[in-house]
Amino acid sequence: MLCREATRPLDGELMLDHAEALSRCANGDRAALKALFEAEAGRLIAVAERILRRRDVAEEVVQDAFIQIWRKADQYSADRGSARGWIYAVVRNRALNVLRDGRREDLADEADLTRLSETANLHDDRVLDRLDATSRLRQCLQQLDEAKRRSLLMAYMSGYTHGEIAGRMNVPLGTAKAWVRRGLSALRECMG
Amino acid sequence: MTSTTTPMDGQNLLELADEYALGLLDAQERAQVEDALLHDDDLRRAVDNARDRFHELDLTAEPVTPSPHLWENIETAAAERVDDGPPLPSASGARTVTAANDNAVRRWRWAALAGIAASLVLAVGLLRMPSTTPSAAVIAVLVDEAGEPLVIVEDFGDRSTRVTPLVDVTVPAGQTMQLWTLPDEETGPVSLGLIEEPETMILDDGPQLPAPQADQLYEITIEQDGGSPTGRPTGEILGKGFAKQPR
Repeated sequence: MLCREATRPLDGELMLDHAEALSRCANGDRAALKALFEAEAGRLIAVAERILRRRDVAEEVVQDAFIQIWRKADQYSADRGSARGWIYAVVRNRALNVLRDGRREDLADEADLTRLSETANLHDDRVLDRLDATSRLRQCLQQLDEAKRRSLLMAYMSGYTHGEIAGRMNVPLGTAKAWVRRGLSALRECMG
Repeated sequence: MTSTTTPMDGQNLLELADEYALGLLDAQERAQVEDALLHDDDLRRAVDNARDRFHELDLTAEPVTPSPHLWENIETAAAERVDDGPPLPSASGARTVTAANDNAVRRWRWAALAGIAASLVLAVGLLRMPSTTPSAAVIAVLVDEAGEPLVIVEDFGDRSTRVTPLVDVTVPAGQTMQLWTLPDEETGPVSLGLIEEPETMILDDGPQLPAPQADQLYEITIEQDGGSPTGRPTGEILGKGFAKQPR
């Protein structure tokens, strides 16, 4: 328990009201954009890097994403769900577009074994330990069997395709697709 | 006429939203979803929910220290934008505005928009099927007034059209369904053939028309047996849809 507390991901930036900052961005308040940058840029780069596996490309993606956030902040409203989630999605979408745009080969060049094994660690239960003990997502992921859980984590955290999941898990493509589909459907049900 | 909901549609929408949020779609599918998000409220809601479901995983990433120049670059770009005058393009600004007094058009437009999620699900499904059949020049998903998808129309541009009903439709005795398209305003609506039985069929005796275009209107009306006596649609409109080109 103590260990879990120590690695809880939430810290100082909880003080920031992301929705309010976005609304100030929409009104042209650059200080609000800076506040978002200071609170989130470090973690956003890490999220992009998990997908792209290169720090420099991850920083480019975050840079472009912040400009996008600035320009389309008025598209966010409270009925769109979590403001913080919306911000992370802008970065994730940008990273995934870069990844899916055929730049993957450049990206793979520098992936060495150490980093690949670090990536592999993202997909096991150590990730779940970093989620809050009361997290509904954590409970629902724990209810999935390991193959489905790992498939979903590979897709979300590392941007793996169905084919890459199948390759990494050493199963036919159809099996990987079925794991993902059933895992997603079970999660939807579990999380309501 | 009776039409029943196909329960798959809602399920497929949620699945598509999840796969988009997870990042499992390829570049083309991602672009299609992003287009549809601009005007499809159901899909947007599903994507918003999917995003929030997984967002906690983002927070497990260990923050790193950004390069010193990163904020400067962003600030410079943001400043340029403000100096450009009133920028901040919004999704709402891009929406099609229809004359408020044109209720019929408006209603149909909303219905057609509501059908976009369904057609997108179908389009992504089609993309994933191995292409063993000749591909259609355009595909339209015809929806009823409530936005419920009724029929897929695939126009091959060679006087043949495949019609695939998605729900059960009963036509009163002595009447028949007729498929129309509107190649352009000047030509007016043109009959592509009669749909005698609500089953998948190829209408292969259509008129010689210019190659079908994206956004071309297709619709089905209920006409007397043997088809409209005037050569133009006269009966109740069963479903309408605007064509898309398969990618």
